[in-house]
Amino acid sequence: METDQRNALFLAMLDELAQRGYEEASVERVRQAAGVSTGEFEAEFNDKDDCLFAAYDWITDVVVEKASAGCDSGEPWPDRVRLGLERLLEEVAAQPRLAEVLTRAFPGIRPSAYERYVALLGRFVPFMHEGRDYSEVEEELPREVELLAVGAAEAIIFGEVDAGRAERLPRMMPEILFSVLVPFMGPDRAADAMRSAAAAT
Amino acid sequence: MACLGVISTGPDVLSVSDRDRILQAMAECCAEHGYRATTVNAILERAGVERESFEALFTDKEDCALAALNKILSETVARISMLDLRTESEMEKQVREIQAILQLLAARASFARLGCVEARQLGSARMRESYEAAARVLALMIERAGSGTPWGASGVTARAALGGAEALARRELAIGGAGNLPKLLPDFVYGVLVPFVGQQEALRQAKLAARVAEEE
Repeated sequence: METDQRNALFLAMLDELAQRGYEEASVERVRQAAGVSTGEFEAEFNDKDDCLFAAYDWITDVVVEKASAGCDSGEPWPDRVRLGLERLLEEVAAQPRLAEVLTRAFPGIRPSAYERYVALLGRFVPFMHEGRDYSEVEEELPREVELLAVGAAEAIIFGEVDAGRAERLPRMMPEILFSVLVPFMGPDRAADAMRSAAAAT
Repeated sequence: MACLGVISTGPDVLSVSDRDRILQAMAECCAEHGYRATTVNAILERAGVERESFEALFTDKEDCALAALNKILSETVARISMLDLRTESEMEKQVREIQAILQLLAARASFARLGCVEARQLGSARMRESYEAAARVLALMIERAGSGTPWGASGVTARAALGGAEALARRELAIGGAGNLPKLLPDFVYGVLVPFVGQQEALRQAKLAARVAEEE
């Protein structure tokens, strides 16, 4: 299968999950929507689950890539976090149904699917390490501070997506940014970053 | 006093213990297979009770899951309200409350997973409502504690601080590490306090918490 065709199949699969739920999701319908023959499907996937889990891995790669694009630019770390968060929130706001699949429909299938969601959150942790250089205290920050920052943003994003208010997220960016930066930089400087982000948007 | 005889109290005592066994089995089945794959039959088998007992207590699987959620929630409230905090400062109170919650989650690992993981992302809409209601109460507690501090508190900041703590708890619960939660008290304390009291004070409290955690 060509990459474009496989991506179309993955998108159709995730859309089917969003619309019909796991039990009702039909490989047949997904194949037809993406223009993939039975033979082509069976050459790559054993069954619905196989395709669904591959689709989730693919979409999480896309999300992480989009949010981290520009993270290797020369900007200081807090600005790169703002940029990444901005992209992520815009993406979520533009595709609320996909966001719902990412956060609820897929992880809700069973514990092994939920583990993929936990792993997705874990992929944002390495981007946070550099924040330790911005601490205003000399002592070492607690070991789990990166996950605390990622979890802070996730709670707000999850809550808005779940309540059907994903479109509000880009406007909430400055406040979410504050919560991500504050464990690393303290409230004064995180509030400065929040105010400049609010002024820029 | 005839109403206190064996016949009238007997069935009550029995049904209470049946109920507890069923709720425990519900939480354990969910932790192992997830809410969707959990069946009433599997719960009955694990609990060692008859279907009639289940049906006398719960209308269906969801009703039973909601009762299990209520159980862990009311135990959490009970643990917090039993703390003797008369001599503690606001911040010390918060540290003691966080510690009490972590100890409870560690002691009731299956229920903790049901409340933090299953209800939020794997269960039914009503289970999610139950999770949301509990999260709102905890976020309000954080917001209230933060409102008297130099940096004040907003609802979003309090909910985000709780979110950080939840992410840490959920990671441990996902890897079967509920027993580790009390040891992570300093990290939880730092995450919940830092937006409101600043890094210096949050770290100081985290260090005090580390001593408390070691003493356990």
